[in-house]
Amino acid sequence: METGGSSESPAEPKKGRSRAPKKAAESLLKQKSPAEFFAENKNIAGFDNPGKSLYTTVRELVENSLDSAESISELPVVEITIEEIGKSKFNSMIGLIDRERVDAALYDDYETAKERERRLAKEARAQEIQAKNAASGKKVKEQSAGKGMKGRGEGSFYRVTCKDNGKGMPHDDIPNMFGRGVLLILVLKYLASGPGVLSGTKYGLKQTRGKFGLGAKMALIWSKMSTGLPIEISSSMKGQTYMTFCRLDIDIHRNVPHVHVHEKRKNDNKWHGAEIQVVIEGNWTTYRSKILHYMRQMAVITPYAQFLFRFISETSDKNVTIKFARRTEVMPPVPLETKHHPSSVDILLIKRLIAETSKQNLLQFLQHEFVNIGKSHAERLIGEMGSEFSAKMPVKSLTDQQIVRIHQLFRQAKFDDPTGDCLSPAGEYNLRLGIIKELHPDMVATYSGSAQVFEGHPFIVEAGVSVGGKDVKQGLNIFRFANRIPLLFEQGADVVTRTALKRINWGTYKINQTQDKIGVFVSIVSTKIPFKGTGKEYIGDDIKEIATAVKSAIQQCCNQLKSKIIKKLQAREQQERKRNIGRYIPDASAAIYDVLQAMTQLHASKKRRYNEEDTDLVSKVASRSITTATLKEKLSEHVARVDYEMALEYATQSGVSEEPREDVYIQALEPAAADGKKFLDFHSPAFVFRLVC
Amino acid sequence: MADTTGKSKKRRRADDGAPELPFKKNLKPDSAILETLKSLQKSTIAAASSSSSKPKSLSELALTAACREVTDQSPDSVQSNIEGVILSLARSIIAGNGFSFNVPSRAATNQLYVPELDRIVLKDKNTLRPFANNSSVRKATITTKILSLIHQLCLKNIHVTKRDLFYTDVKLFQDQTQSDAVLDDVSCVLGCTRSSLNVVAAEKGVVVGRLVFSDDGDMIDCTKMGIGGKAIPPNIDRVGDMQSDALFILLVEKDAAYMRLAEDRFYNRFPCIIVTAKGQPDVATRLFLRKMKMELKLPVLALVDSDPYGLKILSVYGCGSKNMSYDSANLTTPDIKWLGVRPSDLDKYKIPEQCRLPMTEQDIKTGKDLLEEDFVKKNPAWVEELTLMVKTKQKAEIQALSSFGFQYLSEVYLPLKLQQQDWI
Repeated sequence: METGGSSESPAEPKKGRSRAPKKAAESLLKQKSPAEFFAENKNIAGFDNPGKSLYTTVRELVENSLDSAESISELPVVEITIEEIGKSKFNSMIGLIDRERVDAALYDDYETAKERERRLAKEARAQEIQAKNAASGKKVKEQSAGKGMKGRGEGSFYRVTCKDNGKGMPHDDIPNMFGRGVLLILVLKYLASGPGVLSGTKYGLKQTRGKFGLGAKMALIWSKMSTGLPIEISSSMKGQTYMTFCRLDIDIHRNVPHVHVHEKRKNDNKWHGAEIQVVIEGNWTTYRSKILHYMRQMAVITPYAQFLFRFISETSDKNVTIKFARRTEVMPPVPLETKHHPSSVDILLIKRLIAETSKQNLLQFLQHEFVNIGKSHAERLIGEMGSEFSAKMPVKSLTDQQIVRIHQLFRQAKFDDPTGDCLSPAGEYNLRLGIIKELHPDMVATYSGSAQVFEGHPFIVEAGVSVGGKDVKQGLNIFRFANRIPLLFEQGADVVTRTALKRINWGTYKINQTQDKIGVFVSIVSTKIPFKGTGKEYIGDDIKEIATAVKSAIQQCCNQLKSKIIKKLQAREQQERKRNIGRYIPDASAAIYDVLQAMTQLHASKKRRYNEEDTDLVSKVASRSITTATLKEKLSEHVARVDYEMALEYATQSGVSEEPREDVYIQALEPAAADGKKFLDFHSPAFVFRLVC
Repeated sequence: MADTTGKSKKRRRADDGAPELPFKKNLKPDSAILETLKSLQKSTIAAASSSSSKPKSLSELALTAACREVTDQSPDSVQSNIEGVILSLARSIIAGNGFSFNVPSRAATNQLYVPELDRIVLKDKNTLRPFANNSSVRKATITTKILSLIHQLCLKNIHVTKRDLFYTDVKLFQDQTQSDAVLDDVSCVLGCTRSSLNVVAAEKGVVVGRLVFSDDGDMIDCTKMGIGGKAIPPNIDRVGDMQSDALFILLVEKDAAYMRLAEDRFYNRFPCIIVTAKGQPDVATRLFLRKMKMELKLPVLALVDSDPYGLKILSVYGCGSKNMSYDSANLTTPDIKWLGVRPSDLDKYKIPEQCRLPMTEQDIKTGKDLLEEDFVKKNPAWVEELTLMVKTKQKAEIQALSSFGFQYLSEVYLPLKLQQQDWI
């Protein structure tokens, strides 16, 4: 969660704009309230329509919870509930009385007499067709019973609740954390930082989840805008004996929290974490599959977390409950904060770093505020800058021109690439487990690339390729992850999609691109993900470094699969050989017998003479002691014998075990004698047997 | 616009400043051209009689690599051959050893061009085709089936087409290419020509012109066969008693050019026999051409497209195809002259740019491959033409000549070619 320092944040991005657009932004902000600004730019944050808003709300809450739990190295347990709220219930919540329509023609969905006639005729026709189909025994999809007669005003409302076992928040800070400075930070940060730069801290940069690094604030604003109902927050920190309950809403114009309730409650079961509840306008019907996909993909990339997803509808038959179980307790390390790489900074960032640094002189500043600049390197750089620069000059005294000169040098000079140490990739092990857990594929291969660099930002590409599995459609199924969150929209232009579709020759790896169920998983982590598009939903295909890394990662996976697939094909061929050959026995023996029989007739009519051995054979055919059946039998015996020999040969060559071995996840043992029970442990290097007495 | 010759009175192109006129003026009277043709024929006959000993058989050449050839066999001997094979199969099965065929390989690596014979022959490499093997079980079964069918044909001494054969067991053969391929294998195994198997292909080639022959006892006069001509009988055994007063045989690649020549009665102006197989030649046409060449001792001139495939077709007539190299002795016609349309003709006859086509990548590749082939290399003039084609990267069909008028081919181009003895 961003502890939004409202006093300085608005000032900071103002500095952080280049001249011309800055003026535009300023005048914009003077004329429009933050709420208006958000309303006009909803699509940037993923609130284009009610359906997407519901989706974005869910993901913001979930990602916030994961971050919170990971920050205290706790295995995340996240419960998310979406509860549908009917119109009358919603009205009663906001204290509005249901009103009957009096003047029906006033409404958008009013049906004129003509329209009604047309509709009835159409329905009658549809029924007729259905009856005909039913009579002929055809199965047809149930015709959706007309479009829901919903007018514009009648949006659906949902209560979204997300509960986690994370860090929680201090009692006194809660109102300010949620209520203050949110909007300005949000809007300006987006404008200032550009796509995907997650300068979440003052001192450096860090790989973070989410596209804006703003936690769940957008969801809160959306709730305020669409329903106006207050947010409810319950939170407790580790070791706290009480639980904070807070109900508040944001005064958007004055930018202060409006607290309804702020109290301490009992916390009986030592729970820590946060539970956030918002009521928003949304649309479950249209974004149902997106939300479920999101949860599933999140489960793939986060197999160490446990998710419980629930949808509660007004009609119980539409309820959904899905539990994504934990498969591992290995958690990726928390991403480390790192300093900027000199080749990735711009003039504005240098100015900001100068303003914030605690270092006095230029030498120290270069040495301590950037990665990959050592002391001697910094001295050489200062020498190169020109005579007006010196190592001891106070860094705060640098003029604008001098800063431009530093920036130029940073662009031109050679620096070592940043290491990937500050990144926290999902890990090959976790990716693999995630895929197996959620897709149950027949085969899976994973690969983790080494850290590479794009414009001074390190990135790591990990990939997984699976074949087969449940709930996987035929052909390519692409799963994209950026900084360990799934990307679901604007798939077409994405570097992963393009690479998988166009630059991988699946045939080489014995994978059928159209017939097989192929899952392609690519996870990219970086301190700056170069997102594209307004919604920041895809990674451009124009960055050569990333495209190459993605391609080679997928190819590595395919290479691993290839040997497995070939083995499998051989095994299948081995199994089917006997049957395949057997199919031809009747044809072959009949053809041979036909000729033999023709020969007996020739022989009988003395048209032809054969040598003794052949005469013997021909007469046996004539006396029917050799028939088609004899030939068939002898051929079958031979085929069986050859098959047996080949099977033996195959077995000696390939060994007995054919299936790749799979690790089994077993819950860790409880600490011994925790509750007075007696154990006897038998240790071996690979496992422990515990005898419970 | 003055019509200088009476022959072109049919021409209706009015304002024709076309470049054909200068060429047409080059034409001598037909009698002069006929003289050159007669001398060509005489030299051919002389060459044939003087080197009558020349068409050596394979056995006479002391070749280092052993080669395989097939011979014509009577139905009776084919039948007993099959019986021999089947008996050995049956014995092997009864002994519990399954069975397998030893089939001569017809792969490209097993082919050999023999410059002394000027044709491709098959070397002696064999491949084993065991029944109890997943990859060869199908082919082995099809082979037994075909053997059994041929046995029936020989017994009854009737002829069927390849299509008939395929339809006896569509389920097993799946598509005709499979049964056709095995049929060639069976020829190799039995060491007889495909014609002796009593299986023929459907009629494809046609012949028209100054030729009289008997087809199954009926006398056929090819000058009285209308414009379409006489279909070349699929069974060469039925053909005999060839007589002709032609001076040469004109081999045409395409049906369109053939029809033009037939309709214009080209063979009456210059006594000749016109043959086409409408593209790649089938076995019957190749046999027929060889028979004409051998019996009538006439020179053979070829009119093909100016592209790599034209030359390829020419090579099949001349040296045989790789697929049927085992029978190249009977199928090839030696000493075919390439009359046109040659790459050098494109400029010589000022064929307009819009009638020439750019060669595709594939064309150029085929052209370059052909340059490596021995039967092209043996004739330096051919190499020169082909190199020109690959260099200019242009091809043209016979029909490109129609840009000067539909009858340009028969009225100007061919007579001029003959007059200039422009063949290689």
